This record gives sequence, structure tokens and C-alpha cells, in this order.
Amino acid sequence: MRAMVIDDSRAMRMILKRIVTKLSFEAVEAGDGKEALDLLADMTEVPELALIDWNMPNMNGLEFVMKVRADPRLREMTLVMVTTESEQSQIVRALAAGAHEYVIKPFTEGAMIEKLALLGLVPTGANS
Amino acid sequence: MSVEVEVDENDLAEMVEQVWESYLDPEGVSPLMQTYDENQPSEVHSSVSITGSWTGHVVYASSRAAAQRAAAAFLAMELEEVSEEDISDTLGELANIVGGNVKAMLPPGAQLSLPQVVLAPESSARYPNTERISGVYGLWEGEPVSISMWQSSTDTKEEGA
Repeated sequence: MRAMVIDDSRAMRMILKRIVTKLSFEAVEAGDGKEALDLLADMTEVPELALIDWNMPNMNGLEFVMKVRADPRLREMTLVMVTTESEQSQIVRALAAGAHEYVIKPFTEGAMIEKLALLGLVPTGANS
Repeated sequence: MSVEVEVDENDLAEMVEQVWESYLDPEGVSPLMQTYDENQPSEVHSSVSITGSWTGHVVYASSRAAAQRAAAAFLAMELEEVSEEDISDTLGELANIVGGNVKAMLPPGAQLSLPQVVLAPESSARYPNTERISGVYGLWEGEPVSISMWQSSTDTKEEGA
């Protein structure tokens, strides 16, 4: 399986990449929503999962989610917002735009794995 | 527009604890020990600005050694492998995480900037027309680390007007 990690922070991309790689995903990185869309356009196989920061230059995470949801080719991709934007109204906006789940920074590795298990992307108990 | 900010030292301390638990000290062996000394020195710092329902800055400052240790923990590297870029990335993300959580505690309508990182002491930065309203000051394995909030005094004037 393949996961796309989209965050303007290289440090956060490395943390997320470490977690998903441990879960047997092949990870692809992008520094913002625009770069992610460009990479997706060149891919023959769409990743099963995208972990998306909200605040990014060029194209933010919410805009990326809306673009993905408008593209039938990308419809099967599971979208998880990974962000410090933890206001209820922001969470509602992201989910309404088409994100499947929401993880608030700071998060532990265990919490992230549990969330991916809830989405059916990794086996339940992968955290233990 | 301005509001009376209700993010105090306890809220900041709780966020800091979560950051340590998640990234800097997941084993729970080296927490930030609070000194309550707002004048402790720093060698590097990062900040995010918040505008809207509250206007000000959230600043993460530390010694270079603490920043290097934070980068090593964040990136799962050995201390000696950590580069300047790693330190810069990590400091930026730490300011972003704390700032984002501060913003979430403010009334709706606040905007968070992208982080700024300066590999120089916090004292070298100027936040015009601001005053420090709260902060967590501590030692992490003997090295100074602080997280502080600076409120725009323009807001304060408007409140009093």
C-alpha cells in the first residue's frame, strides 16, 4: 500500500513517514497541496491514504481535500487531516469538504495507528 | 477587535506536556522541569503569529543544545547527525504545534501564520507593541526551554477604549 504525507514541515513529514512505513506503507512526500496534486497527476496508481496538514503555503490542506474530492480518479483515496487546527468549526469544515478523519497535533504514534485502524487501513491491534 | 485571552500558564504547561509525550520524551523519562524564571537565556527561537479575535505571538525559545536534542528526538536521529536544517525544521514545527493549540483555545476568527525560525536568541527579536502575558519556563535535561505568549498592546488599548 502507498501513503502520501503532505506537510510543509520536513520534521513532521519524517515523523509521519516513520509511522506509516512501520505499518508497511510505501510513503511519498509532498511539501504542500499543489506539489501533492502534481505528484498525483503523474502517478499511475493512486495512494490508498493521504495524511494532510492544514496550514501550508501555495495550497493548504482544505483546498487539497476539495480538489481531490472533485476528481473521480482520486475518489478512493482515504484523506486524513493531521493538523493543529483543532477548533470544532474547522473539523466540521474539513469533514464536510470530504476528509475521512482528523488527527490533532501533537499526536502519539499509538493514536495515529489507532485512527488508521478505525479507517480499516491497518489491522486492529497493529498498535500493540 | 480583541478579547481577553484566557490561555494561561496552566494551559500552556498542559500543551507542552503533550508535545513532550508525543515527540520529545515519549518514554516519559526527561520532562521539562519548570523553573518559573522568565529571564532564562535562549540561543535559538521560533514563533507563530495569531491575528483576529486575539492578536499576538507564541514563541518557543531554547538553548542550541536543547534545540539539537529536540531535533534528534523529533527525527529519530543521533545527536551528532542533526543538521542546522533539522534544528530549524523542528523549531518551526514546535512553534506551529503550540501556536495552533493556543489558537484553538481562542474565540473563533483567529488566523495562524506559518512559523518563523531564527537561530539567534529570543532577545534579538522585536515584537512591536506587545507584552508577554504568560509563559512556561523550564529546564530540559539542564538546558533552558521556554514557551511564551505575547499579546499586541493595540488589542489592550482597544479593550480599554
